[in-house]
Amino acid sequence: MSRIVTRDLTKAYGDLAVIEPLSLDVPAGQFISVIGPSGCGKTTLMRVLAGLEPPSGGDVTVDGQAPATARSRKRVAMVPQQPGLLPWRTVRANARLLLDVNRASTPPDAADPTALLQEVGLGDFMDAYPHELSGGMQQRVALVRALALHAPLLVMDEPFAALDEITRAGMRGLLNHLVEGRGVTVFFITHSIAEAVALSDRVLVSSPRPARVVADITVDLPRPRAADVEDEPRFVELCAQVRHALHGGMS
Amino acid sequence: MSRRFLAPAVGIVVFLGVWEAFVRIFHVRKFVLRAPSAALRHLWNTRSTFLEAGWITVQHAGVGLLISLTIGVLVGAVLAASPFLEHATQPVLTLVQVAPWFAYVSSVVLWLGSGTPPALFMVGLVCLPAYVFATVDGMRSVEPATLELFRSVDAGRWEVLWRLRLPSAAPVLFTTSRFNLGLALAAAYYVEGANLSNEGIGAIGRRASAAASGADTLWAAVFAMAILGVLGLLLISLLQHVVLHWHAAHRTRPA
Repeated sequence: MSRIVTRDLTKAYGDLAVIEPLSLDVPAGQFISVIGPSGCGKTTLMRVLAGLEPPSGGDVTVDGQAPATARSRKRVAMVPQQPGLLPWRTVRANARLLLDVNRASTPPDAADPTALLQEVGLGDFMDAYPHELSGGMQQRVALVRALALHAPLLVMDEPFAALDEITRAGMRGLLNHLVEGRGVTVFFITHSIAEAVALSDRVLVSSPRPARVVADITVDLPRPRAADVEDEPRFVELCAQVRHALHGGMS
Repeated sequence: MSRRFLAPAVGIVVFLGVWEAFVRIFHVRKFVLRAPSAALRHLWNTRSTFLEAGWITVQHAGVGLLISLTIGVLVGAVLAASPFLEHATQPVLTLVQVAPWFAYVSSVVLWLGSGTPPALFMVGLVCLPAYVFATVDGMRSVEPATLELFRSVDAGRWEVLWRLRLPSAAPVLFTTSRFNLGLALAAAYYVEGANLSNEGIGAIGRRASAAASGADTLWAAVFAMAILGVLGLLLISLLQHVVLHWHAAHRTRPA
């Protein structure tokens, strides 16, 4: 069964169309990226899938249920663009935040974030406060915070956009390592072509607003992916394919 | 670290020295201005009276401040959630804030009787507007992205308030407490002078200003109030340091 199913999904604010009719099937465990120009409606699509905004028309299900239901059952984990860590909570407590909030709905298989924090290299910083961490470390805590929920769908809104290029490259490797073999479906929004190709099984290229899928590109790079995947000729080819679709969609 | 304490100490000593010199050189009349040495000597000589009265004043100002903080946070939390109620309440709170409270103290005493009740009421009232405004601002200062994160797991209103909005308002509530402390002490002192119960430093001050030989006592009362204010500020700073150790203003090293 597909994790995300949309049929003629549309979104408009008054007369302003943001998403053109979209029909999409995302199988379980797929890492799907949406890339498109600023303001094209990618984030709106993510918010609809996360149950934070109702669609204007069409059908949408996440994990077989309405997004709002999935949200209330904590079946969607979000990683925002800014880490959004609470400054008064330690790293450990921040990683637990989504488990602690609305505790009654926390799924029984939610993971203790301690092991995850160790996995992302924050084992020595469990009791540190966010202001003691670098931007990359803060975003790693935000990743753990979302993964600890054990939700079948992970939505990420340009989570590495605020990081420097060296840190971003490291985060790509880390995210690949974290999601491979976990069976989680990832809906990833990005501005970076290399990021989309390095991380994804599939890249959707969107037109400027209103969002319309101009290309649906399968990324057939083998997994697990090492950091040097970005040196392979196939990687470069795929990046070019995405870039052409992006520029074709904009003209 | 010693510099942190050295500079303020130097400032106070120089200030008192200039004051002392001014009074001695120009032979200022006693009630107009008393030399600090004379006022402090008198304070020391009558310390048991001042300790007893000071304890009353501390309770009036301290308990009044806590009552005000509690009500202010409760009211502020409601107003932060409802712009309509906020706009409806704002003119009333502004009136309370700008109206000369010392002008209607005698009416409050007439209403609530003598002793502690009017003191607590006035302290609570004069500190309330600043606490309400601070709570509303602090709770609204939450990052929209963080709020969205809470919404993404369907957090209830109460949880957003308790886990997100209240801690976000804590820094501005501490800043407001520093400002309100002076107001609370002034209100406590003034009501004690007007509430006919002869308790507290305010009552000592009032009796002294009515007596021909009261100059020393009056200025001792002024110093006693100043000492209470400094101790209060130290206590707030200490609490702030413990409660807000995570806050930007208390970072001991850059991130």
